[in-house]
Amino acid sequence: MNVIDIKNFKKSFGKKEVHRNVSFSVQEGECVGLIGGSGAGKSVLLRSLIGLEKPDSGEVFVEGENVAPYTEDQLIEIRKKVAYVFQNGALFDSMTVYENLAYPLREHTQLREEQISKRIHDLLDEFGLTANDHVYPADLSGGMQKRVGLARSIIINPKVVLYDEPTAGLDPFNTVKIQEMILRLKRKGTTSILVTHDMPTAFAVCDRIYLLKNGMVGAEGTIHDLKKDPEGLLSQFISGQGV
Amino acid sequence: MTLAFKFFQIVGEMSQLVRQIWSEVRRKPLYLQLIVEQVLQIGIKSFPLIMIVVGCVGMVMALQFGVSLEKFGGKMYVPKIVSLSIIRELGPVLAGLMMAARVGAGITSEIGSMKVTEQIDAIRALGTSPIKKIIIPRVVGSLIALPILSVMANTVGVYGGLFIGYADLGLDPQFYFQKMISTITVSDYLSGLGKSFFFAFFISVPACYYGLKVTGGTRGVGKATTRSVVTACILIIMSDYFLTKLFLTLEHWISG
Repeated sequence: MNVIDIKNFKKSFGKKEVHRNVSFSVQEGECVGLIGGSGAGKSVLLRSLIGLEKPDSGEVFVEGENVAPYTEDQLIEIRKKVAYVFQNGALFDSMTVYENLAYPLREHTQLREEQISKRIHDLLDEFGLTANDHVYPADLSGGMQKRVGLARSIIINPKVVLYDEPTAGLDPFNTVKIQEMILRLKRKGTTSILVTHDMPTAFAVCDRIYLLKNGMVGAEGTIHDLKKDPEGLLSQFISGQGV
Repeated sequence: MTLAFKFFQIVGEMSQLVRQIWSEVRRKPLYLQLIVEQVLQIGIKSFPLIMIVVGCVGMVMALQFGVSLEKFGGKMYVPKIVSLSIIRELGPVLAGLMMAARVGAGITSEIGSMKVTEQIDAIRALGTSPIKKIIIPRVVGSLIALPILSVMANTVGVYGGLFIGYADLGLDPQFYFQKMISTITVSDYLSGLGKSFFFAFFISVPACYYGLKVTGGTRGVGKATTRSVVTACILIIMSDYFLTKLFLTLEHWISG
C-alpha cells in the first residue's frame, strides 16, 4: 500500500521552474532516498508533504488524502502522522532539550507530567543524550542538536518520518548514530523519505532511490539495481558524472 | 514594483495577519501562560526606559514653561499645562515610542531569527500554530502592558514636573497637586489610556508582521527590525492626531 503518492507535482519560484512534473510513491514501511543536485527541489518536495510548501499544481497524497489543498487547520492531523526532521534540528532555542521534547507531547497527548518525563528520559537514553535534558540547544554540538531534533519529531510515534539532510555536516561518529536511529525506526515499520547528498547513508538505510533531474524524476531504482547497472543515471550521479 | 504597489501589498498582508489573529484568538487553546509571560517581559523590559524618558520630559516641560511663563506672571499655570500635556498626550505617545524602540525591535528580531532558523516552520511541522504560539501572546501582551506602562509613565511624568516646580520654580507642592487635580478630568485620563491601546496595536502587529516576513538570513533580520520600528513610530505619530480628534469629538458628544 502506498503511504505517500505524489502526482504531477509542479512548483515554480518566480520565473524559476523547480518541478516540471514530479511523480513518485512510497510504500508502507519503506525507506526512500531522494537525491539530486543542489537546487533540484528535494527539500521543497519534502516540505510539501506536510503542507509547509504548496504545489502550483498536482496532487500530494498522504495515506490516500490529497493534502495539497488543505488549510493549516486541516494539516494538523497530517502533521501528527508525518514528522519532519529539519536539516539543522530547528530546535526552539528559548527552551531546554526537555522542553523541546515535551512540546509535541503536551500539545497532542493527554499524558501526565510524570509520563511525559519518563518518555523523554527514555528517548534521551536511547539517543545517547542522557543528562542533557536541561541544556539549551545553543550549548549542544551540531550532531547532538540533530539527534534532539530527530527525537522531538518521533516522540509522538509518527507513521512517516521525513528527513531533510539529517547527516549533513556531521562527523563519522554522529553520522553512524543517525543512520542507526533511522534503521531502528525502519525496523519498527516507520515509513521514511530521506533527502540527502550523503550516499553512504543512503546506501545504508534506503530501499529505493529517486533521482531528481531537470524538475522531474530522472531515475529510480533499488540499491540492488544501482549496483547491477554502473552505467545508469543513478550510478553516474553518485560517481559525480551524471548531473 | 512601484512604491504605491508595495505599500498596498504590506497593508493587505498586515490586514490578513490581523484577520488571522482575530480568528485564532477566539478559538481554543488560548495559551494564557504565554500571554502572562509576555505581559511581564514587555513590562519589565520597557519600564525603566519609559519611566526615565517620561519623568525627564515632565521635568523639562515644567522648567521650560516655568521660565517662559514667569515673564508674563503665569508661573502658576505650570501645573495645569504640564499635567494636562503629560496625561493627554506625552505620556502615552512617549511610552509608545519607547516601547516601539525597545519591545517592537525585540519582537521583530526574535520572530525573524526564529524564521531564519526554521523554528517557525518547526512549530507548524509539529502540528501547532505560530499565530497562537508566537503572535497572539505578543500582541495581547502588548495590548495589556502598554496601557499599564502609560498609567505609570503619566504618574512619573507629573511627579517629575512637580519636583521641578518645587525645586526650581519655588511652587508649593500642595498648590501644584491641587491645581493638577482640579485640571485633570476622567475624560483626559481615559483619552490617554485609550490611545495607548491603539499604540500597542500599532507596535505589535507590524513587529510580528516584519518578523514573519524575514528573508535573507541575519541581514534580513536587521532590515526587518529597522522597518518595524520605523513603521511603528510613524503609525504612532500619525494616528495620534486622528485619535486626539476622535477622543475630543467623543468628549463633546458625551458632554452634550
